[in-house]
Amino acid sequence: MISSHAKDSFERIFRKAAQSRLALDSGDACDITPLGQGETGASLAGDVVVLTISSIVFRLILVIHFDEDASTRDYFARNAAERPFQEVFLEICNLCCGAMNQELLRYFPDLGMSTPYVLHARCVSHLEELKPGYLSSHAITINGSVHLAATVCVCAYAPIDFIADVSTVEETSGELEFF
Amino acid sequence: MAKILVVDDSSTVRDEVAGFLRKNGLDVDTAVDGKDGLSKLKMSPGIKLVISDVNMPNMDGLTMVEKIRGELANNAVNVVMLTTESSPAMKERGKAAGVKGWIVKPFKGDAVLEAFRKMAS
Repeated sequence: MISSHAKDSFERIFRKAAQSRLALDSGDACDITPLGQGETGASLAGDVVVLTISSIVFRLILVIHFDEDASTRDYFARNAAERPFQEVFLEICNLCCGAMNQELLRYFPDLGMSTPYVLHARCVSHLEELKPGYLSSHAITINGSVHLAATVCVCAYAPIDFIADVSTVEETSGELEFF
Repeated sequence: MAKILVVDDSSTVRDEVAGFLRKNGLDVDTAVDGKDGLSKLKMSPGIKLVISDVNMPNMDGLTMVEKIRGELANNAVNVVMLTTESSPAMKERGKAAGVKGWIVKPFKGDAVLEAFRKMAS
């Protein structure tokens, strides 16, 4: 039900969002490597942040796996040492999913996005039960020392075919649009 | 001094936005959701600008704006939404409710500071 063009498009949209929102500075190196089928890149003992983007024709679930180790904490909470790490990280994941949502709105005008929530990493293995039309996991390494993983799961309720051009979108985030 | 009210359920965003505005000499109060925002607005008639998230527990930002214009009959306060939502339908609802402007997160303070100053004066 999800064409190969559409699968590639979801992948490109995810990569662009991760590179622009999970890496905090534009100069930071953000390497995204696809993981094999069945691999999630997550420790089963950890937690994951989950967000969803829903439309009439699909539901996309973005799962971001993290370990709250020193390098991850230092990187994401460096300007907010007094706040709990999870609070800071949830907002970063929210921005990442928001960037995907913004890109997808060019092709699907009826989107709604959830707020982020935290689940145990064990839940990720049950994504297959949703019978997704697209399921893809990636290892993410920022500046060689911060290790995350992400899973993108798309369940289609109708045929989906689109080609996302992620190279031409003007960055308008942060600008005030007057009504 | 005219006050700005920042409404967001994320303490990260509240601290980032309020901290930036305070550092630039503006008087800022914060609220954790639409319900809290509405109650702070009732208690502080000096608030000239509300900067609010859309998706929040208890009361979302757009419902809060509808109540500001309806229940409080306050058409004077300027409201700007600061959100990850960017759908045309959501913006239309905001426009209809009397929202003055829309910013898609992330917050870039320098890009909006002067506009915020004007709206809060």
